[in-house]
Amino acid sequence: MANGPQMASRPGAKYGVVLKAVTAPTRQRVDNAAARLLPIVTTLMAMIISIQPAPIPGYAAVAPAFTLMAVYHWTIYRPKLLPPLSVFLIGVTQDLLTGTPAGVSAFVMLLARAIVLRLRRHFVNRPFPFVWIGFTMLSGGVMLFLWALYCLLDRTLIDFRGTIFRAVLTISLFPAASFLLGRTQRSLMSTG
Amino acid sequence: MIRLSPLRRTSLQRVAFPLLVLLSVTMIILGKADQVMLESLRIAVADAAAPALEILSRPLSALADLATRARRLVSVYQENDRLAEENERLMGWQQAALKLASENSQLRGLLKLTPEPTATYLTARVVANSGGAYVRSLMVYAGSENGVARGQAAVTGDGLVGRVSEVGSRAARVLLVTDLNSRVPVIVEGSQQRALLAGDNSERPYLRYLDTGAAIRIGDRIVTSGQGGVFPPGLPVGVVASVDGGAPRVEPYVELSRVGYLRIVDYGLADALPKPVPIVPRGGRRGERSADGQQARR
Repeated sequence: MANGPQMASRPGAKYGVVLKAVTAPTRQRVDNAAARLLPIVTTLMAMIISIQPAPIPGYAAVAPAFTLMAVYHWTIYRPKLLPPLSVFLIGVTQDLLTGTPAGVSAFVMLLARAIVLRLRRHFVNRPFPFVWIGFTMLSGGVMLFLWALYCLLDRTLIDFRGTIFRAVLTISLFPAASFLLGRTQRSLMSTG
Repeated sequence: MIRLSPLRRTSLQRVAFPLLVLLSVTMIILGKADQVMLESLRIAVADAAAPALEILSRPLSALADLATRARRLVSVYQENDRLAEENERLMGWQQAALKLASENSQLRGLLKLTPEPTATYLTARVVANSGGAYVRSLMVYAGSENGVARGQAAVTGDGLVGRVSEVGSRAARVLLVTDLNSRVPVIVEGSQQRALLAGDNSERPYLRYLDTGAAIRIGDRIVTSGQGGVFPPGLPVGVVASVDGGAPRVEPYVELSRVGYLRIVDYGLADALPKPVPIVPRGGRRGERSADGQQARR
């Protein structure tokens, strides 16, 4: 969707960066450094939003996986700026803050990142429906995996309905999240 | 930021990924095997993040307040009529209550009943929820600095919410009655049946260890029994919502997902709850199952 052309011509972009490092004024370089942190900052924000208590009945059980959306988006458009370590730390923090078994979110999101990274070329520079279908498959898989993992950890068969609602909500909110992330990316990372 | 050549960076990432996956799996297994170890880490993170979360949760709750206010404005006339009617009815009840209170105190005097310990309250804002279908807990912005201790009851004006399961200096975690690991000894009012209210992560916890053939009807009130000494007796919990198919389900009085503030109540009973056991034989992420479960099995 966003920044497709730049991503497509990566060898050229490398020289562009070198050139800019020499010629760009200081101010712009500072901006670039801030822009490089954007993926990590927005993913962290997504994590914080996803643990916010919302005064909606039954919300907590179906709280959409905003963090997953951010990880998916940045893994497609700027994978280098969201390294595995940051995904891991954000995941562990989320687990610790929400009281879920520590490591679960980190594990799931690291796997999601690896899968998306491998299939990235199918989504970069493609119209949005492709990106959305990709996310639908990813979040469906992630929710199913999480359900199975918790069934295993709690050694009971957990009601599957909550998982379905959560997956549907996550998938249907993805366009909005993707739009916001894309807009932020374009306005702050136009030179990146 | 450390500048690395692209090649070195790629190779570093190639090593980092499997390492981090391994680390997270190790954390999951360790957390399952030894629950005390990760608890201190969890408390430390909660303590550090609570002030920030408290500030961040404000805009959302302000928005919700605004929506509620707008809704109330629309229905202010009907609401006023309804309240006037209710007030009239409650005046009648007040007379009855006053009569009963004086009678009660006279009878207590006759029986030389020892008074129950008085409870102290503390109101705390909910700053984070569990976010997900598998754990039912809340984080509140109040900790041991404010006098919160493990095992204290968390209530709202409507009834029981859960109990404090972890305490940091500034933040605490409340395990909701609907959580898979929550077990609360209760009494079915009317029939005086004792039972254990067990959560299973659904909206409605169910009653376990009821006598077979116990006459439970929809609409029966469920209150805490005080057995096990964690909660005081008589805290309202909910009403029986369904009885078909084995275990009756209880609809909590409190709409748990909409709790913005809650009261932590100190009944002076907090010491009753044993410290978490490091290794729990079956299930029980935080040791509740063995703590309260044994109580109810009698």
